[in-house]
Amino acid sequence: MELYVPILILAVLAAGFAIFSVGIAPFTGPARWNRAKLDAYECGIEPTPQPVGGGRFPLKYMITAMLFIVFDIEIIFLYPWAVAFDQLGLFGLVEMVLFIVTVLVAYAYVWRRRGLDWD
Amino acid sequence: MISAPTIEYLEIAPLLLVFGAAIIGVLVEAFAPRHLRSAFHIPLTLLAIAGAFVLTVLLAVDKTRTVAVMGALAIDGTTLFLWGTILVLAFISVLLMNDEGQFVAQAAAVPGSAEEQEAVLEGQAQTEVYPLALFAIGGMLIFPASNDLLMLFVALEVMSLPLYLLCGLARRRRLLSQEAAVKYFLLGAFSSGFLLYGIAMLYGYAGSLDLAKISAALGTVSGMDPLLVLGTALLGVGMLFKIGAAPFQAWKPDVYQGAPTPVTALMASGTLVAAFGALLRVFWVALGNLDWDWSPILWGVAILTMVIGVILAITQTDIKRMLAYSSIAHAGFLLTAFVATGGPEQNRVALSSILFYLAAYGVTTVGAFAVVTMVRDTGGEAGHLSRWAGLGKRSPILAGVFAFFLLAFAGIPLTSGFLGKYAVFQAAVAGGATPLVIVGVVTSAIAAFFYARVIVLMFFSEPAADGPVIAAPTVGTALVVALAATVTVVLGVLPQPMLDLAGAAARSLFVY
Amino acid sequence: MTTMLAGPIGPSLADFGKDPWWISLIKAVFIFVFLMLGVLFGVWTERKLISRMQNRYGPNRAGKFGLLQSVADGLKMGLKEDLMPRTVDRVVFFLAPVIIAVPAFLAFSIVPFGPMVSMFGVQTPLQLTDLPVAVLFVLAMASMGVYGIVLAGWGSRSPYALLGGLRSSAQVISYEIAMALSLVAVFLFAGTLSTSEIVNAQAAGGTWEIGGLSIPLPSWYVVMLFPSFLIYVVTMLGETNRVPFDLPEGEGELVGGFHTEYSSSLKFAMFMLAEYVNMFTVSALAITMFFGGWQAPWPISLWDGANTGWWPMLWFFGKLVIAFCFFVWVRASLPRVRYDQLMALGWKLLIPISLAWIVLVATVRALRLEGGDRTLVMAMLGVIVVVIGVLYYAFDTSRERKKKDQQAQVREEFARLRNEPTAGGFPVPPLDLPHYHGVSSRPAVTRADSKEVTSEAKV
Repeated sequence: MELYVPILILAVLAAGFAIFSVGIAPFTGPARWNRAKLDAYECGIEPTPQPVGGGRFPLKYMITAMLFIVFDIEIIFLYPWAVAFDQLGLFGLVEMVLFIVTVLVAYAYVWRRRGLDWD
Repeated sequence: MISAPTIEYLEIAPLLLVFGAAIIGVLVEAFAPRHLRSAFHIPLTLLAIAGAFVLTVLLAVDKTRTVAVMGALAIDGTTLFLWGTILVLAFISVLLMNDEGQFVAQAAAVPGSAEEQEAVLEGQAQTEVYPLALFAIGGMLIFPASNDLLMLFVALEVMSLPLYLLCGLARRRRLLSQEAAVKYFLLGAFSSGFLLYGIAMLYGYAGSLDLAKISAALGTVSGMDPLLVLGTALLGVGMLFKIGAAPFQAWKPDVYQGAPTPVTALMASGTLVAAFGALLRVFWVALGNLDWDWSPILWGVAILTMVIGVILAITQTDIKRMLAYSSIAHAGFLLTAFVATGGPEQNRVALSSILFYLAAYGVTTVGAFAVVTMVRDTGGEAGHLSRWAGLGKRSPILAGVFAFFLLAFAGIPLTSGFLGKYAVFQAAVAGGATPLVIVGVVTSAIAAFFYARVIVLMFFSEPAADGPVIAAPTVGTALVVALAATVTVVLGVLPQPMLDLAGAAARSLFVY
Repeated sequence: MTTMLAGPIGPSLADFGKDPWWISLIKAVFIFVFLMLGVLFGVWTERKLISRMQNRYGPNRAGKFGLLQSVADGLKMGLKEDLMPRTVDRVVFFLAPVIIAVPAFLAFSIVPFGPMVSMFGVQTPLQLTDLPVAVLFVLAMASMGVYGIVLAGWGSRSPYALLGGLRSSAQVISYEIAMALSLVAVFLFAGTLSTSEIVNAQAAGGTWEIGGLSIPLPSWYVVMLFPSFLIYVVTMLGETNRVPFDLPEGEGELVGGFHTEYSSSLKFAMFMLAEYVNMFTVSALAITMFFGGWQAPWPISLWDGANTGWWPMLWFFGKLVIAFCFFVWVRASLPRVRYDQLMALGWKLLIPISLAWIVLVATVRALRLEGGDRTLVMAMLGVIVVVIGVLYYAFDTSRERKKKDQQAQVREEFARLRNEPTAGGFPVPPLDLPHYHGVSSRPAVTRADSKEVTSEAKV
């Protein structure tokens, strides 16, 4: 636990600075009211009204996020194996190669189904 | 110092075969051209399940009784019996799946859109159902065998996630199917959350996730009873959801109705068997010494389940929903023997009765759903009961077989259902749960009412003018119906071999 | 780069966690000030270096050599009006710059600056702290920063901002996988995730016995694990949204991306700060993982005192400056990559190559560890190589065939259009009208002369 205390100190420092900056931002600058400043910027034209929840966005972003989760979990499994590799020896290598091959099967499926293509 | 674990490959060979075939199925999906995919999948899936069954039989003949994979799996008599049952049920469910008209052309196409029409015209088929089913079956195999709460959870998810997806892949009435999938997913995710929380509590109480160590901790650890009680309760919620016991039964009717019927058959048989096996293992092995505490609650759950199952089934007008409620009622009947714990001999009797009931009921259920797939309307399967009127006049054999299945559900003598109920109720009485048995008999009588109503509808009513047709069954479906009918009869007339098998499986009770 | 003897080894993991709180405070303040000054100098360096590479002077008005340019920029951003449009989600809009800035700073906390020194009478390592899972901490902080991007885009409630935020974050998480994979080989060699131990592990290289000679191997991982290093460099550029992967924030694309709605006030300054601090963090991580951390490069390491005391901080700063200049150099030289090409690179090229390299490295290491059973491992490797080759060949030919089919289809379509202009239902004006070509007295072009533009313009 003592290892994390310096991180906490730095976190407090950084957070303090960031919140301070963001907090005084309205006060350090001028505040000249102009109705156009209240709207979202859309290259100078009238902004399109957005639905309340933020509107819809293309599904491919969610697919990318899901795939990121899958491969991130694979990485989480690779890290302890890499660190303990010398102790696990050949057994560990074969097991991990099988694991990587299994994930690669899923990867091949996603690739062929055009899940990795960004239109 | 980390050392390489020991893995008993032979003992887990059925699992490896099923999962290996599932992975090869995914590869087939990725690389095979569209017209060849089914040709690869069907033999692969069926051979894998059959091969796993053969391996299970070999293990059973070998009298394997061991805790495998560093204590993660328990391969004992009960496990092997359940594996054999699940694999047989999986085999006949997959035989139902190969009727290509059941599954959606392109699952990602919005229902009613131009892409959907295009996909149907092109003759596309979502053949991923086969590897998905194999993954679900693999999960069903691990679920009752898990000796460790973490393995239990992983197996639950591996079993459930493909099923969530499979529920949404019906070809006709796609919106209903997608709704069923979403409902199953949301409720299943919630119950998994409860299960996980319960596991955490039990870990906090016992200091270990291993079932044997939890059982040992029941005697030694003191002063942390709230954790234990809360953990047991939450764990119970998660597991009772899976078998569809009240008050967690709300998903069953919607999911059974919306899912494509082969998937419903798989769920109604395989998931029930696997979930019950896991419930047995967790509550009898880990929390067995706590039975004075959880038994009364489960009495209430059993009564509620039986009553809700039969009473709500009376009002149903859709055949699949009616069968879903009847499945809820049967889960209640099973629970009567589940709560009847006592000494080791009593436990053995109860366990063997539950195993026999599971096997008998599973096969009958798959047969019933197989018949349901065959009764078709212009818009797909004829679900509404009014469409089933007069079926006996149009195709007497089919109606006769279905009537036979319904009688088996009701527990009429000469069917496997009767002997299953008899065994279960006998074990319950011996275990001191006579009030439960009384409720069970009364609800069985009520259930007989709505089963008989369907039989009367089929045989003694006039068929509708534009009534449904009986689709010419594929070889698979015909085989399934024939097999189910045969097994129901055989187990009803000559149950002794099966009873002996269940008894032998239960004799070692559980390996720790 | 090589050190034959085991040089003065730096602190190990056990040396951490023993600092009194005021030492930690001094180190934290130092890191904070270092990063802020680094950003200021970084902005100046970037602008000057890019301009010199582009044959111009760059900012030279504010102060001598334009050194006060960053200060002027900072003051400008502070004194600008801070807008909060009516439609934004206020809490998220306010918090997004904080969420993106704080993890960027925190990721720097485990970077080793030097070995044990005596600071105000206390023996302490020149590193804020070290964890058994230090590198995982850095990756976690990088992932937390992605929250800031997405929330900034989402909170702005403007279509451009939302899409820009999503694109930016999709790019960052795609490259994060490849980055994490490229580091697995480093952990295989070092046997630990702790940064100080990784630096120690690069102190002494092994020897390569060949032909009776024992050749000393360079100990820095950049040599032994060069493919990992290359992959890391590419992902470094992708993670920080820098050229050639800066489409989400490129001027002219999606306006300003996720920070469109943030008028150039201090909130916007936070985003810029976070971007530069991220650049420093990934550079520092590259230096620690691949370039031996604070250890002196070869000619200097021959001098015994090079790796003791406060000197290593100088070597570390030098390497950091070189890494930063590399970023700037890439920005000056390379064009921007299109977004789908970027995603294809991250998903379809970097991940398989990383995985294949990890398996190769692990296999070679396993071969070296256990003398026996090489045949099994070699057989496995052989099978994998053959399978990959077969798959690649099969898909290469099918891809070629598909491309040829597509080209034939396009050719056929153009031929059809040439013969019958209204094929396909396109509204084609009558082609026999007299054409007016402006002031020059060129005659009207008739149909026979008119050139068509085809897909294969044979010029």
